[in-house]
Amino acid sequence: MMAFDANMVLYIIEIVIGGLLVGVGVHFVPVGGAPAAMAQATGVGTGTVQLAAGSGLTGLLSAGLMMSVTDNIALIVISGAVGAMIMMDATMIVGNWVYIYGVGVPPCSAKVDYDPITKEPQPPYISPGTVGHGIPTVSYVSGTIGGLLGGAGGSLIYYALMSINQNPGLSGFFAIGIFVVNAVIASYNIQGTIEGFHDPKFKRVPRAVQACLVASLIIGIFAVLITGGA
Amino acid sequence: MSVAAGGGEAKIDKTKLMMYGLGGGVLGIYLTHVLNTITGSGYFSFLAGLGVIAAVVMGSDAVRRVCAYGIGTGVPSIGLMAMGMGLVAAMFGLSIGGVAGPIIGIAIAMGFGYFVGLLANRIIKMNIPVMEETLMTLGGAGAIVLIGLSVVVSGEISYPLIISSVVDTGYIAILFIAGTLAILHPFNANLGPDETQDRTLVHTISTGALAMFAAGLASLATIGGAGFLTVIIAVIIWIKAFMWYFQLVKRDSSGVVGTGLLPEGGL
Amino acid sequence: MDMVSMGLLAAMGALATVAGASEDLESDVGSQSNPNSQVQLAAQVGHPHRIYNKAISGEPPSNALYAALAAVTASVLMSGYGMNAFFAIAIGAVVAAIFNGIYSTTAYLGRNTSQARFNQYVYLDVLRTHTTTIMAHAYITAFCVVTISYIMTAPWLPIQHPFPMPLVAFIWGLAIGAIGSSTGDVHYGAEREFQAYPFGAGLNAANSGDIVTKAEAGLRSSIDNAWFCARFGGPATGMAFGLTVFLDNWRTTIFDPATQGWLAIATGIVIVILFNIYNRILEIRAKKRYGPYPEYVGDIEA
Repeated sequence: MMAFDANMVLYIIEIVIGGLLVGVGVHFVPVGGAPAAMAQATGVGTGTVQLAAGSGLTGLLSAGLMMSVTDNIALIVISGAVGAMIMMDATMIVGNWVYIYGVGVPPCSAKVDYDPITKEPQPPYISPGTVGHGIPTVSYVSGTIGGLLGGAGGSLIYYALMSINQNPGLSGFFAIGIFVVNAVIASYNIQGTIEGFHDPKFKRVPRAVQACLVASLIIGIFAVLITGGA
Repeated sequence: MSVAAGGGEAKIDKTKLMMYGLGGGVLGIYLTHVLNTITGSGYFSFLAGLGVIAAVVMGSDAVRRVCAYGIGTGVPSIGLMAMGMGLVAAMFGLSIGGVAGPIIGIAIAMGFGYFVGLLANRIIKMNIPVMEETLMTLGGAGAIVLIGLSVVVSGEISYPLIISSVVDTGYIAILFIAGTLAILHPFNANLGPDETQDRTLVHTISTGALAMFAAGLASLATIGGAGFLTVIIAVIIWIKAFMWYFQLVKRDSSGVVGTGLLPEGGL
Repeated sequence: MDMVSMGLLAAMGALATVAGASEDLESDVGSQSNPNSQVQLAAQVGHPHRIYNKAISGEPPSNALYAALAAVTASVLMSGYGMNAFFAIAIGAVVAAIFNGIYSTTAYLGRNTSQARFNQYVYLDVLRTHTTTIMAHAYITAFCVVTISYIMTAPWLPIQHPFPMPLVAFIWGLAIGAIGSSTGDVHYGAEREFQAYPFGAGLNAANSGDIVTKAEAGLRSSIDNAWFCARFGGPATGMAFGLTVFLDNWRTTIFDPATQGWLAIATGIVIVILFNIYNRILEIRAKKRYGPYPEYVGDIEA
């Protein structure tokens, strides 16, 4: 049991911020769920928590390696963010390859008439009976941002926990646990599918912020009191 | 996977399952600790594994109840969240509680599960009536699974021993994921309009035995040869549960055929 | 940066590519994850089938299970019994494949039994022929992922990641499941399951559940589906996971993390920007080549 001192408050704040980054980042990742796997909806054809967890934890690996050689919080968190972004981007590029060359559909979205970033019209390219398919530019950029936030959040939680108990295995696992709790709460908020920041569902972010804030705070208070074992 | 979630009505009362799950889990963990400390060996570690199987059955029934409402994100998320909550709560309870650690950890996990259920219903406004109660049950199941399997690997309820034998070696990875799948695989695998509660719960016994097998494998390195007892008992339980499950499959299905073409509707 | 590190990095990239391909093919033979919703739906709309309906809660948790189990078994054999790394990892992958076989079998039995009212039979010969194929693919995936984790964590090799080996294997298993579920499964779900419909359109909602159940001769089996997806979906997934593992570790191999950390991060950001530009080029080329739908009636100009 660690003595409660001023540093503890800092670590709890770091865990809460990390949890918030994860929760908000999940809203940026373009996920179409089961319909997207059949080219019926825009986005990556998988589940929200699965893709967010996959990319965030890849970022955690990069952050873990960085933290074993340095102590600079900016370096560690950004390194985790970059690792997650690379995984997310590689996945989405190959996803687009399969959509374009394997299924034969151009990327387009049905939630907006004009792509917010490229200003190109969307409805002429949508297959009849679907609500878009593939990963258009706005969803791709949104996914990159989602990877950045998720990776940064997971790395920040890992950094805070390592500073307390200096045990990489324990901190790594706790970071995974806290990451998953925040990601699942956020995925309940978007109810399974979202196309990115242009999706009307994106306006629900404040609710997720409140819920993740409270959940991370409670978990953070318990997590900082756990020692690394001696 | 949101098609036709969960069919049959529950014939086994949920309070009875909760009593067996919580009671059996705690009993198994403490019996292991007491008997192992008295005899100074690791031969009684399998009792904690039996407690874990009881808790997993309780958790699987909770998954069944909450997913009948179609929560929209699928079954795996809720299992992962239960284990995530259970992990932090279990480690916290063990680190401050000493021998009373498991009970503290389970209580905190259940409290946290109830709290997340409140968050989901009040702030996210999911409005699922059974959310708080099932997430509380799942939190408790997650904590018992983690503590129970850790005790199978380490042999005693002692925080430094668990850290050095389960966390530093990385074996907690398999305990975590095998426990998660033990809770959520049975409902996911039996999803459909003709799903029946007894078949799902019998399936849970077999997946719980697989988790116990995985923990037994890990314990071969930490306790040594005594871990073989856990492995053998897990295999026996799995064989019996799988045979029972297959009998129920033959009872419920429209036809278990050796080979053949499609029935009249398909050709 | 030295030749040993670069050689190990190349080995990790190659292993990752093979692991990605075999993971995707394993999920195609078993029809796991999201395309399985159509297989589930097929029986309910009057198309009973002989496809292997394997539903193990999604690919990330299940691949994390196989990787973690193989890694734990290998770690137990190496540390407790002093076995050589390669043999230990191979035996660990066998145990993971056996677990896969058990979970797949029970999933097939359970899902088909719970659709009894739609007259969906449980075909035991499908179980006998397909389960071993699925187990073989899972063996390759688990072996490659655990070897990658071993290279990253072994104390006598240059990288020496601080996490214990089973934890690294768990994370890579989760990642490979997420990647396989996002990329290769689309080739199976949107193209192969609905091959009777013309190439070049997404699945019309009115055609949900109308999967192909009859093959060129006889009935469609999941091994036919894996044959098709091995031509494109499988290798594409391999590329995705290979790129992830390679690029992630390449940055920290050419630039030493302790002294040139910021250069490694800058390289990563340049890679991300290049990916974004490439996606834009891909989108422009696809729209130019395919053009708008001829039946499009609406007032927004293409």
